[in-house]
Amino acid sequence: MVLLLAFVGTITSWTYDPVPIGPYQFNYPTNFGNRTFIPDDNPTTKEGVYLGRMLFYETALSANNKISCGTCHQQALAFTDGKAFSTGVDGSLTSRSSMSLANMLWSRKLFWDGRSNALEGQAAIPMQNPHEMGQMMQTTVRKLSRKMPYPELFDKVFGKEEGINGVTIIKAIAQFERTLISANSKYDQYLQGKHKPTKQELQGLALFNNAPQPAKSIRGANCSRCHGGVKTYMELFHNNGLDTVGKDAGIGSLTALATDQGRFKAPTLRNIALTAPYMHDGRFKNLDEVLDHYSDHIKTSAALSDIFRGASNRKDGTQLSLKADEKKAIIAFLSMLTDDTFIHDPRFSDPHIAATISNK
Amino acid sequence: MKQLLTTIIICFIAITALAQSIKISGEVAAPTELKLADMAQYPQTEVSRKDRDGKDHKYTGVLLSTILQKAGATLGKDLKGENLTKYITVEASDGYQVLFALAELDKDFTDRQIILATKIDGQPLALADGPFRIIVEGEKKPARCIKQVTAIKVAFAK
Ligand code: HEC
Ligand code: HEC
Repeated sequence: MVLLLAFVGTITSWTYDPVPIGPYQFNYPTNFGNRTFIPDDNPTTKEGVYLGRMLFYETALSANNKISCGTCHQQALAFTDGKAFSTGVDGSLTSRSSMSLANMLWSRKLFWDGRSNALEGQAAIPMQNPHEMGQMMQTTVRKLSRKMPYPELFDKVFGKEEGINGVTIIKAIAQFERTLISANSKYDQYLQGKHKPTKQELQGLALFNNAPQPAKSIRGANCSRCHGGVKTYMELFHNNGLDTVGKDAGIGSLTALATDQGRFKAPTLRNIALTAPYMHDGRFKNLDEVLDHYSDHIKTSAALSDIFRGASNRKDGTQLSLKADEKKAIIAFLSMLTDDTFIHDPRFSDPHIAATISNK
Repeated sequence: MKQLLTTIIICFIAITALAQSIKISGEVAAPTELKLADMAQYPQTEVSRKDRDGKDHKYTGVLLSTILQKAGATLGKDLKGENLTKYITVEASDGYQVLFALAELDKDFTDRQIILATKIDGQPLALADGPFRIIVEGEKKPARCIKQVTAIKVAFAK
């Protein structure tokens, strides 16, 4: 009997994949550029990423043992949760919509209002927020210290002296998040000369990139001013005309400046077709509603981004005024940004599920 | 009525402008926070350039080199040797950033003036542009005439 128990114990600790060791090599196309952000005191290692992935999907990080980061950031939905607002441990809703986690390696200003400036600082916020995971760091440390295989794993990654503490937990999660690279959409393949877009996709791409110039008969939607570049992310913060006076002031509630009211992060559009509903409050159910907004319903206020002022496809127009087929073309282009490799990559999936299955 | 509205708008601009400042940091002897009121103590320079409306406008402000020298950046006689590998990044409130080599700002190197403008045609800059905007004399593209400036950082190219 004792023998059998010992045997079962060994099996459980074996069912996770073996722990790889050594510096982690990031792989991404050269057109992504090397302006990456990795703090000196948290270099990315294979063992750190392995541990970070376990923690990202670890429900013991929440007060009711039911919620992990992966609950609100699901791989199949490009690490969003398909909801306008997410439900936390106490049953209440988050005040903003969950965000896609792709290409965080190039990101410094996190959250809809950019208030956090490193992944290392960010993760402690949802962990301890009573409306999200709702558990004090000491409790998390205590729970992990009693849960296999964490004690051994933390020692392996950070050394016996450090072991499990608030800082090492956060560091490991940040290491895993940096590996979430989306770089194999049809758009990437097109940029590498490996994919031939349809006529409609090319029309959408041109509209996405062009500024409207009715005097020269150039039609445009100007999206690339804020969502441009290979990563469709430029770390810019703007008021994109959702409201004249919004319920959520975004950066405005941090600075109280008139020009910051309703100012939010212009998020990446990678995998955008998978991450409905849209905007910081999930107000738009689909991309048609998003395009209707940009085309016809930009609301003016002191904080409205200058980029929208006077930008119109009609002479002396005040709205972009896109035609129905142009909106469709832009949506066709946006759909090229879906990266199937990313949402199915086994390296990003829940390791506990795989372990449970192989346990049976 | 219209006058009242204008007054209200100007007050509004003034309040916002007062609250905003530019953080000057990095490789400078005296990192500072520059407020709109601080600008009056420096000699004012005028630069003309076309805006998006296609018309010429007169921008008034302070030479960037004057402000940086005051903060203790290595300009003028100190701009030689390894200091020639220094650059500044200018950041706007929306996160947009542009870069200038320190030598681009120095009048011993160039006559082209780069100013931190606070006025257009004698009036405070529009909310969406100000209270501080960089104006680069004679540069063809407007991309480095960065609006709503919030920070200037001096650094070494490594
Ligand atoms: C209850 C749902 C929920 C849980 C659980 C949750 N998040 Fe989030 N996450 C959100 C929401 C909502 C936002 C946007 C919050 C804001 O802007 O104020 C967000 C934003 C983020 C961002 C910022 C992304 C960007 O591009 O700026 C990161 C990174 C992130 N979460 C990582 C995590 C990690 C790591 C965990 C686990 C420790 C976690 N989240 C747990 C809902 C959740
Ligand atoms: C001036 C900058 C700017 C321009 C131009 C712009 N956007 Fe945005 N975009 C934003 C900001 C800021 C947000 C987030 C706003 C919020 O949630 O309050 C956003 C959000 C979005 C979202 C939702 C993202 C999400 O994860 O929920 C989509 C989709 C989008 N934009 C598409 C477009 C398209 C298509 C265009 C061109 C027609 C465009 N944008 C032009 C700034 C801009």
